[in-house]
Amino acid sequence: MKGYIAFVKKEFVENLKNYRFLILFAIFAVFGMSSAFLAKFTPEIIAAFGAGLEITEEPVALDAWQQFFKNISGIGFSAFIILFGSCMSSEYSKGTLLLLVTKGLARPSVIMAKYTVAAVSMTVSFWVSFVGAYGYTYYLWPDASLSNVVPSAFFMWMIGFLYLSILILGCVLFKQTFTSILFTGGIVALFSVLSVVKPLSAFNPVVLTSRNVDLISGEISMTEFLIPFIVSVVLSVVFLAAAIRAFNKKQL
Amino acid sequence: MNVLSIRNLSKSFGQQQIIKDLNMSVPEGSVFGFIGQNGAGKTTTMKMVLGLLQPDQGEILVCNEPVRFGQTKTNQYIGYLPDVPEFYNYMTAMQYLTLCGEIVGLPKESISQKGKKLLSLVGLDGVEKRVGGYSRGMKQRLGIAQALLADPKLLICDEPTSALDPVGRKEILDILYKIRGTTTVLFSTHILSDVERICDHVALLNDGNIAVGGTLSEIKALHSHDSLLIEFSTEADLQHFKECMTGQSLLNGSEEKGREIVIHSREMKKAQHTIFSTLAEADLVPVKVELMEPSLESLFLEVIK
Repeated sequence: MKGYIAFVKKEFVENLKNYRFLILFAIFAVFGMSSAFLAKFTPEIIAAFGAGLEITEEPVALDAWQQFFKNISGIGFSAFIILFGSCMSSEYSKGTLLLLVTKGLARPSVIMAKYTVAAVSMTVSFWVSFVGAYGYTYYLWPDASLSNVVPSAFFMWMIGFLYLSILILGCVLFKQTFTSILFTGGIVALFSVLSVVKPLSAFNPVVLTSRNVDLISGEISMTEFLIPFIVSVVLSVVFLAAAIRAFNKKQL
Repeated sequence: MNVLSIRNLSKSFGQQQIIKDLNMSVPEGSVFGFIGQNGAGKTTTMKMVLGLLQPDQGEILVCNEPVRFGQTKTNQYIGYLPDVPEFYNYMTAMQYLTLCGEIVGLPKESISQKGKKLLSLVGLDGVEKRVGGYSRGMKQRLGIAQALLADPKLLICDEPTSALDPVGRKEILDILYKIRGTTTVLFSTHILSDVERICDHVALLNDGNIAVGGTLSEIKALHSHDSLLIEFSTEADLQHFKECMTGQSLLNGSEEKGREIVIHSREMKKAQHTIFSTLAEADLVPVKVELMEPSLESLFLEVIK
Protein backbone atom coordinates (compact mmCIF):
# COMPACT_ATOMS: atom_id res chain seq x y z
CA MET A 1 0.00 0.00 0.00
CA LYS A 2 2.82 2.42 0.89
CA GLY A 3 4.44 1.70 -2.45
CA TYR A 4 1.13 2.31 -4.22
CA ILE A 5 0.64 5.69 -2.55
CA ALA A 6 4.20 6.76 -3.23
CA PHE A 7 3.89 5.75 -6.88
CA VAL A 8 0.51 7.49 -7.27
CA LYS A 9 2.13 10.70 -6.03
CA LYS A 10 4.97 10.26 -8.47
CA GLU A 11 2.51 9.66 -11.33
CA PHE A 12 0.50 12.78 -10.49
CA VAL A 13 3.61 14.93 -10.47
CA GLU A 14 4.82 13.35 -13.69
CA ASN A 15 1.52 13.89 -15.51
CA LEU A 16 1.49 17.52 -14.44
CA LYS A 17 5.12 18.07 -15.41
CA ASN A 18 4.85 16.49 -18.84
CA TYR A 19 1.58 18.36 -19.53
CA ARG A 20 -0.33 15.15 -20.15
CA PHE A 21 -3.04 16.16 -17.72
CA LEU A 22 -3.22 19.72 -19.00
CA ILE A 23 -3.55 18.62 -22.63
CA LEU A 24 -6.22 16.06 -21.80
CA PHE A 25 -8.13 18.58 -19.72
CA ALA A 26 -7.93 21.21 -22.44
CA ILE A 27 -9.13 18.86 -25.17
CA PHE A 28 -12.09 17.67 -23.13
CA ALA A 29 -12.97 21.19 -22.07
CA VAL A 30 -12.74 22.68 -25.54
CA PHE A 31 -14.60 19.92 -27.34
CA GLY A 32 -17.17 19.49 -24.60
CA MET A 33 -18.08 23.11 -24.33
CA SER A 34 -17.93 23.89 -28.00
CA SER A 35 -20.55 21.26 -28.71
CA ALA A 36 -23.47 23.50 -27.72
CA PHE A 37 -21.97 26.39 -29.61
CA LEU A 38 -21.44 24.32 -32.75
CA ALA A 39 -24.94 22.88 -32.62
CA LYS A 40 -26.44 26.31 -32.28
CA PHE A 41 -24.50 28.10 -34.94
CA THR A 42 -23.70 25.41 -37.53
CA PRO A 43 -26.79 26.27 -39.60
CA GLU A 44 -25.77 29.90 -39.68
CA ILE A 45 -22.18 29.06 -40.50
CA ILE A 46 -23.28 26.84 -43.36
CA ALA A 47 -25.68 29.47 -44.58
CA ALA A 48 -22.91 32.04 -44.57
CA PHE A 49 -20.58 29.91 -46.64
CA GLY A 50 -22.71 27.66 -48.81
CA ALA A 51 -24.60 29.74 -51.37
CA GLY A 52 -28.14 28.50 -51.79
CA LEU A 53 -27.95 25.98 -48.95
CA GLU A 54 -30.52 26.56 -46.31
CA ILE A 55 -31.20 24.57 -43.21
CA THR A 56 -34.81 24.80 -42.38
CA GLU A 57 -34.82 23.10 -39.02
CA GLU A 58 -33.98 25.16 -35.99
CA PRO A 59 -31.28 23.46 -33.85
CA VAL A 60 -32.43 22.18 -30.47
CA ALA A 61 -30.74 21.22 -27.21
CA LEU A 62 -30.69 17.57 -28.25
CA ASP A 63 -28.42 18.53 -31.16
CA ALA A 64 -26.01 20.03 -28.67
CA TRP A 65 -25.88 16.77 -26.70
CA GLN A 66 -25.47 14.78 -29.88
CA GLN A 67 -22.47 16.92 -30.69
CA PHE A 68 -21.12 16.51 -27.14
CA PHE A 69 -21.25 12.71 -27.15
CA LYS A 70 -19.79 12.58 -30.64
CA ASN A 71 -16.90 14.84 -29.63
CA ILE A 72 -16.11 13.07 -26.39
CA SER A 73 -16.40 9.50 -27.67
CA GLY A 74 -14.39 10.34 -30.75
CA ILE A 75 -11.85 13.05 -30.07
CA GLY A 76 -11.84 13.03 -26.26
CA PHE A 77 -11.24 9.34 -25.73
CA SER A 78 -8.83 9.10 -28.67
CA ALA A 79 -6.74 11.83 -27.09
CA PHE A 80 -6.95 10.02 -23.76
CA ILE A 81 -5.67 6.77 -25.28
CA ILE A 82 -2.93 8.46 -27.26
CA LEU A 83 -1.73 10.54 -24.31
CA PHE A 84 -1.60 7.65 -21.87
CA GLY A 85 -0.35 5.15 -24.47
CA SER A 86 3.19 6.06 -23.49
CA CYS A 87 2.69 5.60 -19.76
CA MET A 88 4.64 2.32 -19.64
CA SER A 89 6.79 2.48 -22.75
CA SER A 90 8.83 5.41 -21.47
CA GLU A 91 9.51 3.51 -18.25
CA TYR A 92 10.51 0.40 -20.19
CA SER A 93 12.80 2.15 -22.62
CA LYS A 94 14.60 4.11 -19.91
CA GLY A 95 14.64 1.32 -17.35
CA THR A 96 13.39 3.59 -14.59
CA LEU A 97 11.11 0.96 -13.06
CA LEU A 98 14.01 -1.40 -12.46
CA LEU A 99 15.36 0.51 -9.48
CA LEU A 100 11.98 0.96 -7.85
CA VAL A 101 10.93 -2.65 -8.28
CA THR A 102 14.21 -3.85 -6.82
CA LYS A 103 13.50 -1.50 -3.91
CA GLY A 104 10.49 -3.61 -3.07
CA LEU A 105 7.80 -1.75 -4.99
CA ALA A 106 5.19 -4.44 -5.65
CA ARG A 107 4.50 -4.85 -9.34
CA PRO A 108 0.69 -4.71 -9.04
CA SER A 109 1.13 -1.32 -7.31
CA VAL A 110 2.79 0.02 -10.44
CA ILE A 111 -0.16 -0.94 -12.62
CA MET A 112 -2.78 0.14 -10.09
CA ALA A 113 -1.09 3.51 -9.57
CA LYS A 114 -0.88 4.16 -13.31
CA TYR A 115 -4.51 3.13 -13.68
CA THR A 116 -5.63 5.32 -10.80
CA VAL A 117 -3.92 8.44 -12.04
CA ALA A 118 -5.08 7.99 -15.64
CA ALA A 119 -8.64 7.28 -14.44
CA VAL A 120 -8.68 10.35 -12.20
CA SER A 121 -7.34 12.54 -15.02
CA MET A 122 -10.02 11.22 -17.36
CA THR A 123 -12.76 11.59 -14.75
CA VAL A 124 -11.92 15.18 -13.88
CA SER A 125 -11.58 16.14 -17.55
CA PHE A 126 -14.80 14.39 -18.48
CA TRP A 127 -17.02 15.83 -15.78
CA VAL A 128 -15.65 19.34 -16.05
CA SER A 129 -16.33 19.11 -19.76
CA PHE A 130 -19.83 17.81 -19.04
CA VAL A 131 -20.63 20.59 -16.58
CA GLY A 132 -19.42 23.12 -19.14
CA ALA A 133 -21.54 21.59 -21.87
CA TYR A 134 -24.52 21.41 -19.55
CA GLY A 135 -24.23 25.04 -18.54
CA TYR A 136 -23.77 26.27 -22.07
CA THR A 137 -26.65 24.19 -23.41
CA TYR A 138 -28.89 25.51 -20.67
CA TYR A 139 -27.81 29.07 -21.49
CA LEU A 140 -28.62 28.68 -25.19
CA TRP A 141 -31.83 26.68 -24.75
CA PRO A 142 -33.17 27.63 -21.33
CA ASP A 143 -36.59 26.17 -22.06
CA ALA A 144 -35.45 22.74 -23.17
CA SER A 145 -36.46 20.00 -20.79
CA LEU A 146 -34.48 16.86 -21.38
CA SER A 147 -34.36 13.87 -19.09
CA ASN A 148 -31.58 11.33 -18.49
CA VAL A 149 -28.78 13.67 -19.50
CA VAL A 150 -26.69 12.80 -16.45
CA PRO A 151 -27.17 8.99 -16.68
CA SER A 152 -26.36 9.21 -20.36
CA ALA A 153 -23.07 10.94 -19.54
CA PHE A 154 -22.45 8.48 -16.72
CA PHE A 155 -22.51 5.57 -19.18
CA MET A 156 -20.14 7.36 -21.51
CA TRP A 157 -17.80 7.98 -18.57
CA MET A 158 -17.87 4.28 -17.66
CA ILE A 159 -16.65 3.24 -21.10
CA GLY A 160 -13.57 5.35 -20.40
CA PHE A 161 -12.57 2.84 -17.72
CA LEU A 162 -12.91 -0.03 -20.16
CA TYR A 163 -10.74 1.78 -22.73
CA LEU A 164 -8.18 2.44 -20.02
CA SER A 165 -8.07 -1.20 -18.90
CA ILE A 166 -7.51 -2.33 -22.48
CA LEU A 167 -4.84 0.33 -22.94
CA ILE A 168 -2.98 -0.66 -19.78
CA LEU A 169 -2.95 -4.29 -20.90
CA GLY A 170 -1.60 -3.15 -24.26
CA CYS A 171 1.04 -1.04 -22.54
CA VAL A 172 2.18 -3.99 -20.44
CA LEU A 173 2.28 -6.41 -23.36
CA PHE A 174 4.05 -4.18 -25.86
CA LYS A 175 7.17 -2.14 -25.40
CA GLN A 176 6.25 0.51 -27.94
CA THR A 177 3.65 3.22 -27.51
CA PHE A 178 2.38 2.82 -31.04
CA THR A 179 1.70 -0.89 -30.63
CA SER A 180 -0.14 -0.35 -27.36
CA ILE A 181 -2.40 2.26 -28.95
CA LEU A 182 -2.95 0.03 -31.97
CA PHE A 183 -3.87 -2.85 -29.67
CA THR A 184 -6.45 -0.69 -27.87
CA GLY A 185 -7.83 0.65 -31.14
CA GLY A 186 -8.05 -2.88 -32.50
CA ILE A 187 -10.05 -4.20 -29.58
CA VAL A 188 -12.38 -1.20 -29.58
CA ALA A 189 -12.88 -1.66 -33.31
CA LEU A 190 -13.64 -5.32 -32.68
CA PHE A 191 -16.41 -4.30 -30.27
CA SER A 192 -17.85 -2.02 -32.95
CA VAL A 193 -17.79 -4.79 -35.53
CA LEU A 194 -19.44 -7.18 -33.10
CA SER A 195 -22.21 -4.68 -32.43
CA VAL A 196 -23.55 -5.47 -35.89
CA VAL A 197 -24.12 -9.06 -34.89
CA LYS A 198 -27.70 -9.02 -33.69
CA PRO A 199 -27.85 -11.48 -30.79
CA LEU A 200 -24.70 -9.99 -29.26
CA SER A 201 -25.47 -6.33 -29.77
CA ALA A 202 -27.65 -6.11 -26.65
CA PHE A 203 -24.61 -7.08 -24.51
CA ASN A 204 -22.05 -5.03 -26.32
CA PRO A 205 -20.41 -2.21 -24.31
CA VAL A 206 -20.47 -0.10 -27.48
CA VAL A 207 -24.08 0.69 -26.56
CA LEU A 208 -22.73 2.88 -23.75
CA THR A 209 -21.13 5.28 -26.21
CA SER A 210 -23.40 4.98 -29.23
CA ARG A 211 -26.94 5.31 -27.91
CA ASN A 212 -26.58 8.11 -25.37
CA VAL A 213 -28.63 10.53 -27.40
CA ASP A 214 -31.38 7.94 -27.87
CA LEU A 215 -31.54 7.66 -24.09
CA ILE A 216 -32.01 11.42 -23.75
CA SER A 217 -34.58 11.59 -26.52
CA GLY A 218 -36.48 8.76 -24.90
CA GLU A 219 -36.09 6.42 -27.88
CA ILE A 220 -34.69 3.69 -25.65
CA SER A 221 -34.99 3.13 -21.94
CA MET A 222 -32.35 2.93 -19.27
CA THR A 223 -32.82 -0.84 -18.88
CA GLU A 224 -31.23 -1.39 -22.28
CA PHE A 225 -28.01 0.08 -20.89
CA LEU A 226 -27.95 -2.19 -17.90
CA ILE A 227 -26.43 -5.33 -19.45
CA PRO A 228 -23.82 -3.52 -21.58
CA PHE A 229 -22.91 -1.55 -18.46
CA ILE A 230 -22.37 -4.71 -16.43
CA VAL A 231 -20.44 -6.30 -19.29
CA SER A 232 -18.28 -3.19 -19.52
CA VAL A 233 -17.46 -3.19 -15.81
CA VAL A 234 -16.68 -6.91 -15.85
CA LEU A 235 -14.47 -6.54 -18.92
CA SER A 236 -12.66 -3.57 -17.33
CA VAL A 237 -11.81 -5.68 -14.31
CA VAL A 238 -10.79 -8.64 -16.48
CA PHE A 239 -8.49 -6.56 -18.68
CA LEU A 240 -6.94 -4.86 -15.67
CA ALA A 241 -6.38 -8.19 -13.92
CA ALA A 242 -4.81 -9.54 -17.10
CA ALA A 243 -2.51 -6.51 -17.21
CA ILE A 244 -1.39 -7.10 -13.61
CA ARG A 245 -0.80 -10.76 -14.30
CA ALA A 246 1.18 -10.06 -17.42
CA PHE A 247 3.24 -7.41 -15.66
CA ASN A 248 4.14 -9.81 -12.85
CA LYS A 249 5.87 -11.98 -15.44
CA LYS A 250 7.35 -9.16 -17.45
CA GLN A 251 11.11 -8.83 -17.70
CA LEU A 252 12.16 -5.30 -16.92
CA MET B 1 26.92 -16.27 7.91
CA ASN B 2 26.37 -15.89 4.21
CA VAL B 3 24.30 -12.99 3.02
CA LEU B 4 23.89 -14.59 -0.36
CA SER B 5 24.04 -18.26 -1.31
CA ILE B 6 23.58 -19.57 -4.80
CA ARG B 7 23.20 -23.28 -5.37
CA ASN B 8 23.25 -25.17 -8.65
CA LEU B 9 22.00 -22.20 -10.62
CA SER B 10 21.45 -22.59 -14.37
CA LYS B 11 20.07 -20.26 -16.98
CA SER B 12 19.81 -20.44 -20.75
CA PHE B 13 18.68 -17.95 -23.32
CA GLY B 14 17.38 -19.96 -26.22
CA GLN B 15 20.07 -22.45 -27.19
CA GLN B 16 22.80 -20.64 -25.35
CA GLN B 17 23.50 -21.70 -21.80
CA ILE B 18 24.85 -18.72 -19.92
CA ILE B 19 25.00 -20.04 -16.36
CA LYS B 20 25.85 -23.70 -15.76
CA ASP B 21 25.42 -25.14 -12.31
CA LEU B 22 26.75 -22.08 -10.51
CA ASN B 23 27.55 -22.28 -6.81
CA MET B 24 28.63 -19.25 -4.88
CA SER B 25 28.29 -17.67 -1.46
CA VAL B 26 28.96 -14.18 -0.26
CA PRO B 27 29.98 -13.98 3.42
CA GLU B 28 28.62 -11.17 5.56
CA GLY B 29 30.76 -8.08 5.75
CA SER B 30 32.87 -8.84 2.71
CA VAL B 31 33.54 -6.78 -0.37
CA PHE B 32 33.03 -9.42 -2.99
CA GLY B 33 34.47 -8.97 -6.45
CA PHE B 34 32.55 -10.84 -9.12
CA ILE B 35 34.83 -10.99 -12.11
CA GLY B 36 34.22 -12.15 -15.61
CA GLN B 37 34.55 -11.22 -19.24
CA ASN B 38 31.88 -9.25 -21.01
CA GLY B 39 29.03 -11.66 -21.64
CA ALA B 40 30.19 -14.14 -19.01
CA GLY B 41 26.84 -13.93 -17.23
CA LYS B 42 27.54 -11.53 -14.36
CA THR B 43 24.51 -9.35 -14.98
CA THR B 44 22.33 -12.39 -15.62
CA THR B 45 23.33 -13.85 -12.26
CA MET B 46 22.67 -10.56 -10.49
CA LYS B 47 19.29 -10.17 -12.11
CA MET B 48 18.32 -13.65 -10.93
CA VAL B 49 19.39 -12.70 -7.40
CA LEU B 50 17.09 -9.69 -7.66
CA GLY B 51 14.17 -11.78 -8.89
CA LEU B 52 14.18 -9.99 -12.24
CA LEU B 53 14.96 -13.10 -14.25
CA GLN B 54 13.63 -16.58 -13.85
CA PRO B 55 16.36 -19.20 -13.32
CA ASP B 56 15.97 -22.50 -15.19
CA GLN B 57 17.27 -24.40 -12.20
CA GLY B 58 18.78 -23.91 -8.80
CA GLU B 59 18.19 -21.96 -5.65
CA ILE B 60 19.13 -18.51 -4.49
CA LEU B 61 19.00 -17.52 -0.83
CA VAL B 62 19.28 -13.93 0.34
CA CYS B 63 19.66 -13.73 4.13
CA ASN B 64 18.43 -17.33 4.21
CA GLU B 65 15.20 -16.50 2.38
CA PRO B 66 14.59 -17.95 -1.08
CA VAL B 67 14.34 -15.52 -4.00
CA ARG B 68 11.19 -15.82 -6.13
CA PHE B 69 10.95 -14.47 -9.64
CA GLY B 70 8.66 -11.45 -9.97
CA GLN B 71 8.41 -11.05 -6.19
CA THR B 72 10.13 -8.39 -4.21
CA LYS B 73 10.27 -9.80 -0.69
CA THR B 74 13.98 -10.60 -0.58
CA ASN B 75 14.77 -7.28 -2.24
CA GLN B 76 14.21 -5.53 1.07
CA TYR B 77 17.66 -6.80 2.08
CA ILE B 78 19.28 -5.68 -1.14
CA GLY B 79 20.40 -2.36 -2.49
CA TYR B 80 20.91 -2.50 -6.24
CA LEU B 81 22.97 -0.32 -8.50
CA PRO B 82 22.66 -1.22 -12.20
CA ASP B 83 25.49 -0.43 -14.62
CA VAL B 84 23.65 2.59 -15.99
CA PRO B 85 21.06 3.66 -13.41
CA GLU B 86 18.14 5.66 -14.78
CA PHE B 87 16.04 8.11 -12.83
CA TYR B 88 13.13 10.41 -13.55
CA ASN B 89 14.68 13.41 -15.22
CA TYR B 90 12.32 15.96 -13.75
CA MET B 91 13.25 15.12 -10.15
CA THR B 92 16.09 16.40 -8.02
CA ALA B 93 18.30 13.93 -6.14
CA MET B 94 16.45 14.57 -2.89
CA GLN B 95 13.04 14.15 -4.55
CA TYR B 96 14.14 10.83 -5.97
CA LEU B 97 15.43 9.63 -2.62
CA THR B 98 12.12 10.71 -1.07
CA LEU B 99 10.21 8.60 -3.61
CA CYS B 100 12.46 5.63 -2.82
CA GLY B 101 12.07 6.18 0.91
CA GLU B 102 8.30 6.26 0.61
CA ILE B 103 8.30 3.05 -1.40
CA VAL B 104 10.45 1.35 1.20
CA GLY B 105 8.18 2.75 3.91
CA LEU B 106 10.63 4.89 5.84
CA PRO B 107 9.12 7.58 8.05
CA LYS B 108 9.26 11.12 6.66
CA GLU B 109 11.85 12.47 9.07
CA SER B 110 14.18 9.58 8.61
CA ILE B 111 13.96 9.98 4.82
CA SER B 112 15.14 13.56 4.94
CA GLN B 113 17.79 12.79 7.54
CA LYS B 114 19.18 9.79 5.71
CA GLY B 115 18.80 11.45 2.37
CA LYS B 116 21.02 14.31 3.47
CA LYS B 117 23.56 11.94 4.97
CA LEU B 118 23.76 9.78 1.86
CA LEU B 119 23.93 12.73 -0.51
CA SER B 120 26.87 14.04 1.43
CA LEU B 121 28.47 10.56 1.40
CA VAL B 122 28.27 10.46 -2.40
CA GLY B 123 29.15 14.13 -2.79
CA LEU B 124 25.83 15.33 -4.16
CA ASP B 125 24.84 17.53 -1.25
CA GLY B 126 23.88 21.00 -2.32
CA VAL B 127 23.28 19.93 -5.93
CA GLU B 128 19.87 21.40 -6.71
CA LYS B 129 19.66 20.70 -10.42
CA ARG B 130 17.42 18.03 -11.84
CA VAL B 131 18.68 14.54 -12.59
CA GLY B 132 18.16 15.22 -16.31
CA GLY B 133 21.23 17.45 -16.22
CA TYR B 134 23.50 15.00 -14.39
CA SER B 135 26.68 13.49 -15.78
CA ARG B 136 27.11 9.73 -15.79
CA GLY B 137 29.33 9.84 -12.74
CA MET B 138 26.75 11.88 -10.84
CA LYS B 139 24.01 9.44 -11.80
CA GLN B 140 26.17 6.59 -10.60
CA ARG B 141 26.71 8.35 -7.29
CA LEU B 142 23.00 9.01 -6.90
CA GLY B 143 22.57 5.33 -7.74
CA ILE B 144 24.71 4.38 -4.78
CA ALA B 145 22.78 6.77 -2.53
CA GLN B 146 19.44 5.25 -3.48
CA ALA B 147 20.82 1.74 -3.10
CA LEU B 148 21.97 2.46 0.44
CA LEU B 149 18.81 4.27 1.52
CA ALA B 150 17.13 1.34 3.20
CA ASP B 151 20.27 0.15 5.01
CA PRO B 152 20.56 -2.98 2.89
CA LYS B 153 22.43 -6.02 4.12
CA LEU B 154 23.76 -6.56 0.64
CA LEU B 155 24.70 -3.95 -1.93
CA ILE B 156 24.80 -5.29 -5.47
CA CYS B 157 26.69 -3.14 -7.94
CA ASP B 158 26.70 -4.16 -11.57
CA GLU B 159 29.86 -2.84 -13.17
CA PRO B 160 29.62 0.46 -11.31
CA THR B 161 32.83 1.83 -12.74
CA SER B 162 32.84 0.54 -16.32
CA ALA B 163 31.30 3.58 -17.95
CA LEU B 164 33.19 6.19 -15.98
CA ASP B 165 36.28 8.28 -16.50
CA PRO B 166 39.24 7.78 -14.10
CA VAL B 167 38.05 10.50 -11.71
CA GLY B 168 34.52 9.11 -11.60
CA ARG B 169 35.91 5.61 -11.07
CA LYS B 170 38.04 6.69 -8.19
CA GLU B 171 35.08 8.45 -6.58
CA ILE B 172 32.87 5.37 -6.81
CA LEU B 173 35.58 3.07 -5.47
CA ASP B 174 36.24 5.46 -2.60
CA ILE B 175 32.55 5.44 -1.68
CA LEU B 176 32.40 1.64 -1.82
CA TYR B 177 35.53 1.51 0.28
CA LYS B 178 33.96 3.82 2.84
CA ILE B 179 30.90 1.65 3.36
CA ARG B 180 32.78 -1.63 3.79
CA GLY B 181 32.19 -3.09 7.20
CA THR B 182 28.65 -1.76 7.44
CA THR B 183 27.30 -3.31 4.26
CA THR B 184 28.27 -6.40 2.35
CA VAL B 185 29.12 -5.44 -1.20
CA LEU B 186 28.83 -7.68 -4.25
CA PHE B 187 30.48 -5.92 -7.09
CA SER B 188 30.78 -7.17 -10.64
CA THR B 189 33.45 -5.92 -12.96
CA HIS B 190 35.98 -6.78 -15.57
CA ILE B 191 38.39 -4.10 -14.36
CA LEU B 192 40.82 -6.11 -12.26
CA SER B 193 42.67 -3.22 -10.70
CA ASP B 194 39.38 -2.10 -9.13
CA VAL B 195 38.99 -5.51 -7.55
CA GLU B 196 42.53 -5.52 -6.23
CA ARG B 197 41.93 -2.12 -4.74
CA ILE B 198 38.83 -2.75 -2.67
CA CYS B 199 37.76 -6.40 -2.63
CA ASP B 200 38.64 -9.01 -0.05
CA HIS B 201 36.77 -11.90 -1.69
CA VAL B 202 36.80 -12.79 -5.33
CA ALA B 203 34.94 -15.14 -7.63
CA LEU B 204 35.90 -15.54 -11.23
CA LEU B 205 33.06 -16.45 -13.54
CA ASN B 206 34.07 -18.31 -16.63
CA ASP B 207 32.07 -20.53 -18.92
CA GLY B 208 28.97 -20.26 -16.74
CA ASN B 209 30.40 -21.21 -13.39
CA ILE B 210 32.94 -20.12 -10.82
CA ALA B 211 36.38 -21.04 -12.11
CA VAL B 212 38.20 -19.65 -9.08
CA GLY B 213 36.84 -18.37 -5.80
CA GLY B 214 37.95 -17.42 -2.29
CA THR B 215 39.67 -14.60 -0.49
CA LEU B 216 41.94 -12.48 -2.60
CA SER B 217 45.10 -13.58 -0.80
CA GLU B 218 44.15 -17.27 -0.93
CA ILE B 219 43.56 -17.10 -4.63
CA LYS B 220 46.78 -15.33 -5.31
CA ALA B 221 48.68 -17.87 -3.23
CA LEU B 222 46.98 -20.90 -4.72
CA HIS B 223 46.52 -20.15 -8.29
CA SER B 224 49.43 -18.30 -9.59
CA HIS B 225 53.18 -18.64 -9.71
CA ASP B 226 55.59 -16.03 -8.62
CA SER B 227 57.70 -14.78 -11.43
CA LEU B 228 61.14 -13.30 -11.77
CA LEU B 229 61.99 -10.94 -14.58
CA ILE B 230 65.63 -10.64 -15.62
CA GLU B 231 66.78 -8.13 -18.18
CA PHE B 232 70.26 -8.32 -19.74
CA SER B 233 72.15 -5.62 -21.52
CA THR B 234 72.54 -7.69 -24.70
CA GLU B 235 70.76 -10.65 -26.28
CA ALA B 236 74.07 -12.52 -26.28
CA ASP B 237 74.16 -12.30 -22.48
CA LEU B 238 70.68 -13.74 -22.37
CA GLN B 239 71.70 -16.65 -24.59
CA HIS B 240 74.77 -17.25 -22.45
CA PHE B 241 72.63 -17.30 -19.32
CA LYS B 242 70.28 -19.83 -20.92
CA GLU B 243 73.19 -22.06 -21.86
CA CYS B 244 74.43 -22.00 -18.28
CA MET B 245 70.97 -22.91 -17.08
CA THR B 246 70.50 -25.91 -19.37
CA GLY B 247 69.54 -28.96 -17.45
CA GLN B 248 67.64 -26.90 -14.88
CA SER B 249 63.88 -27.32 -14.82
CA LEU B 250 63.53 -23.63 -14.02
CA LEU B 251 63.52 -22.60 -17.65
CA ASN B 252 60.47 -24.71 -18.39
CA GLY B 253 57.59 -22.41 -19.15
CA SER B 254 59.70 -19.29 -19.09
CA GLU B 255 58.91 -16.45 -21.47
CA GLU B 256 61.40 -14.55 -23.55
CA LYS B 257 61.03 -11.14 -25.08
CA GLY B 258 64.02 -9.35 -26.56
CA ARG B 259 66.62 -9.02 -23.82
CA GLU B 260 64.19 -10.07 -21.12
CA ILE B 261 63.31 -13.42 -19.67
CA VAL B 262 60.51 -14.17 -17.20
CA ILE B 263 60.95 -17.27 -15.07
CA HIS B 264 58.05 -18.81 -13.16
CA SER B 265 58.39 -20.89 -10.04
CA ARG B 266 56.29 -21.96 -7.10
CA GLU B 267 59.37 -21.83 -4.82
CA MET B 268 60.79 -18.50 -5.66
CA LYS B 269 63.37 -18.36 -2.88
CA LYS B 270 65.06 -21.55 -3.99
CA ALA B 271 64.85 -20.53 -7.59
CA GLN B 272 66.49 -17.19 -6.85
CA HIS B 273 69.42 -18.94 -5.13
CA THR B 274 70.00 -21.06 -8.20
CA ILE B 275 69.64 -18.16 -10.59
CA PHE B 276 71.90 -15.78 -8.71
CA SER B 277 74.65 -18.38 -8.26
CA THR B 278 74.44 -19.21 -11.96
CA LEU B 279 74.72 -15.51 -12.79
CA ALA B 280 77.74 -15.13 -10.51
CA GLU B 281 79.48 -18.21 -11.89
CA ALA B 282 78.93 -17.09 -15.47
CA ASP B 283 80.02 -13.55 -14.55
CA LEU B 284 76.80 -12.13 -15.91
CA VAL B 285 75.40 -8.82 -14.64
CA PRO B 286 71.78 -8.23 -15.56
CA VAL B 287 70.53 -4.64 -15.87
CA LYS B 288 67.32 -5.41 -14.07
CA VAL B 289 66.00 -8.13 -11.80
CA GLU B 290 62.42 -7.83 -10.69
CA LEU B 291 60.30 -10.09 -8.53
CA MET B 292 56.81 -10.05 -10.01
CA GLU B 293 53.88 -10.56 -7.62
CA PRO B 294 51.08 -12.70 -8.94
CA SER B 295 48.47 -10.35 -10.31
CA LEU B 296 44.79 -10.97 -10.79
CA GLU B 297 45.36 -10.25 -14.40
CA SER B 298 47.74 -13.14 -14.87
CA LEU B 299 45.34 -15.34 -12.95
CA PHE B 300 42.42 -14.15 -15.04
CA LEU B 301 44.25 -14.83 -18.26
CA GLU B 302 45.35 -18.22 -16.95
CA VAL B 303 41.79 -19.22 -16.10
CA ILE B 304 40.04 -18.07 -19.25
CA LYS B 305 42.61 -19.73 -21.51
